[in-house]
Amino acid sequence: MGDAPVIRVRGLVTRFGPQTIHDGLDLDVERGEVLGVVGGSGTGKSVLLKEILGLIQPAAGTIELLGHDIAGLDRAERTALQARTGVLFQNGALFSSMTVAENVMLPLKEHTALPPALIAEVARVKIAMAGLPPDAGTKHPAQLSGGMIKRAGLARALALDPDILFLDEPTAGLDPIGAAAFDALIQGLQRSLGLTVFMVTHDLDSLTSICDRIAVLVDKTIRVGTLAQHLADPHPWIHEYFHGPRGRAALDAKERNAALRHAKG
Amino acid sequence: MAPGAWRCAVMPSMGLTIGVCSATFRTAPFGVRERAAEPVAGILAETGASDRAWIDSGPDDGGWRIGAAGRWTLDAAGPASAALDAAPRPGRGAAVRLDMARVEALDTVGAYLLGRLAERLTVEGHAVAVVGLRPEHAALFGAVRDAGKAPPRPVQREHRPIVDMVVRTGETTVGAVKEALDLVGFLGLVTVTFLRLILRPSRLRLTSVLFHIEQTGLNALPILGLLSFLIGVVLAFQGADQLKRFGAELYVVNLLGISVLREIGILMTAIIVAGRSGSAFTAQIGTMKVNQEVDAIGTMGLDPVELLVVPRALALMITLPLLAFYADVMGLFGGAVMAYATLDITFGQFIRQLHSAVGINTVIAGLIKAPVFALVIAMVGCYEGLKVSGSAESVGIMTTKAVVEGIFLVIVIDAVFSVLFSFLGV
Repeated sequence: MGDAPVIRVRGLVTRFGPQTIHDGLDLDVERGEVLGVVGGSGTGKSVLLKEILGLIQPAAGTIELLGHDIAGLDRAERTALQARTGVLFQNGALFSSMTVAENVMLPLKEHTALPPALIAEVARVKIAMAGLPPDAGTKHPAQLSGGMIKRAGLARALALDPDILFLDEPTAGLDPIGAAAFDALIQGLQRSLGLTVFMVTHDLDSLTSICDRIAVLVDKTIRVGTLAQHLADPHPWIHEYFHGPRGRAALDAKERNAALRHAKG
Repeated sequence: MAPGAWRCAVMPSMGLTIGVCSATFRTAPFGVRERAAEPVAGILAETGASDRAWIDSGPDDGGWRIGAAGRWTLDAAGPASAALDAAPRPGRGAAVRLDMARVEALDTVGAYLLGRLAERLTVEGHAVAVVGLRPEHAALFGAVRDAGKAPPRPVQREHRPIVDMVVRTGETTVGAVKEALDLVGFLGLVTVTFLRLILRPSRLRLTSVLFHIEQTGLNALPILGLLSFLIGVVLAFQGADQLKRFGAELYVVNLLGISVLREIGILMTAIIVAGRSGSAFTAQIGTMKVNQEVDAIGTMGLDPVELLVVPRALALMITLPLLAFYADVMGLFGGAVMAYATLDITFGQFIRQLHSAVGINTVIAGLIKAPVFALVIAMVGCYEGLKVSGSAESVGIMTTKAVVEGIFLVIVIDAVFSVLFSFLGV
């Protein structure tokens, strides 16, 4: 694969009626990185995610996923590409008529020719890797808590061992302990599976703790950089975002953790 | 490779399994298979090296060595799993080295298969050492091994067909009785709310009522009109066919008048409205329930029954008699058109005959049922909507239930009315 970016967006323009959401947006996501995407309400974070996933057609611009322009794909190529991406939607989007195990098994059944017994075993491993107890597999989504639904959604997103994992506000609606655990889970899986993670989030702790780079949607385009670069950015929204009370708290926590780790060894 | 080793390649593209490979080995004493010729290597050359996983297994300086190589990924997993199951087992108690140095690519499934192999060998009493694991694979292999350790809990329920059937029958029966009781309870609740609103009419949501009148009444006119017209046509045609034999063609008007005005007009209307609006009520309220809107109404000190159920019930009780009258007219019109076309009965004759055939009490006997049907349809629709819990699937189930129960109750109550009218001599 070389060093070509796994996601490459060029000159993206998005319009809803008279309203322009993105205007000439460029974005590269490198293999193996965790990119956090932030932005105010209505700046088109989720829209960008949906465009990269091919759920919405942009008004102009190109989007390349793993080296393929997603606009020019035929059905088979699109399916093959979709098998290499995993998506965790904001509310899990688990199929409510199926159990958790069936949800995880569905992509394996559709996209592979594995024997059913092996599919069931692989699903069990994925459910365990997502940090769910073994008996969660037989439950229906309605019987799960919010955090467990997210974990189950993550297990389904990872079913086919994707190259890229898309997360839409993964820690929204979780308590701080659950959110931190989920961050750690994502980071652990990202390292062990070698995932590229594209994460839309508003959780400043996630941004500071697990994201390699941060993309900020401002002024209808996007500014990508490390946390340190954004901290030095004079743009008023970015400054407010990272230097506001919540931003400061998250940064302080990060520094404290780093100091602790340093002290320990 | 050590002498006496066993080797198998797995090529997903060819679907090649161990069956092909193992055919060239013959079993030797001590459970060790001796290597025969090298046909495996020949097959390997054909497929190219892009997409294959392979494993060799054999004794190796005092212990046993299992070497995994190639691409252990999802694509190769099916055949690879079969190959692993068929691979020769080391002798009793031998120390096993699982050599993964030549694994080029590893994903969760591959790691799981190799981890499962190591786990099984450990259980069989071998000391298993995983060696040569590449650093980039180590984390994955470790994570999957940890995850795979949680023992699968076989959830196997005993299958008892007859007992299960009895149990299900019992559950359904009890469920139906409970449902009927709940529905009666809900009727009481709605009635009480109605009465409260009569005492304080300012609390009635007039806008909501008018909105639902438009939705359930005005918007139903085209489909209801067309269907009633066609029913009138069909009735007149079939009636005329029979009555012609007795030279009593004119009595087709009596037939039409009685059947449409007393039964068919109102019944058709009620069934169409149950399908159209009863289901809509369930879906609307059910979706609100899923979105916790109903809970929100409750926490704001508002009454869901007053806010959601009463306007719908009231709207339907206003529209259904009007719709039924409209269906009566359209049905008679359809019959009149057919009578004119096939029997040469003019519209003037038709109306004169209709006058002599049916009195106003026939019309009233039909229309008096309309508000009752309306209440039943709205009640069932709203009740099932409020019973929706949690998921999108539940909305679908409850909507189906509302339509089936609505139509069922309409027909049952129609039968009750018929008995009642015959007692009263209407």
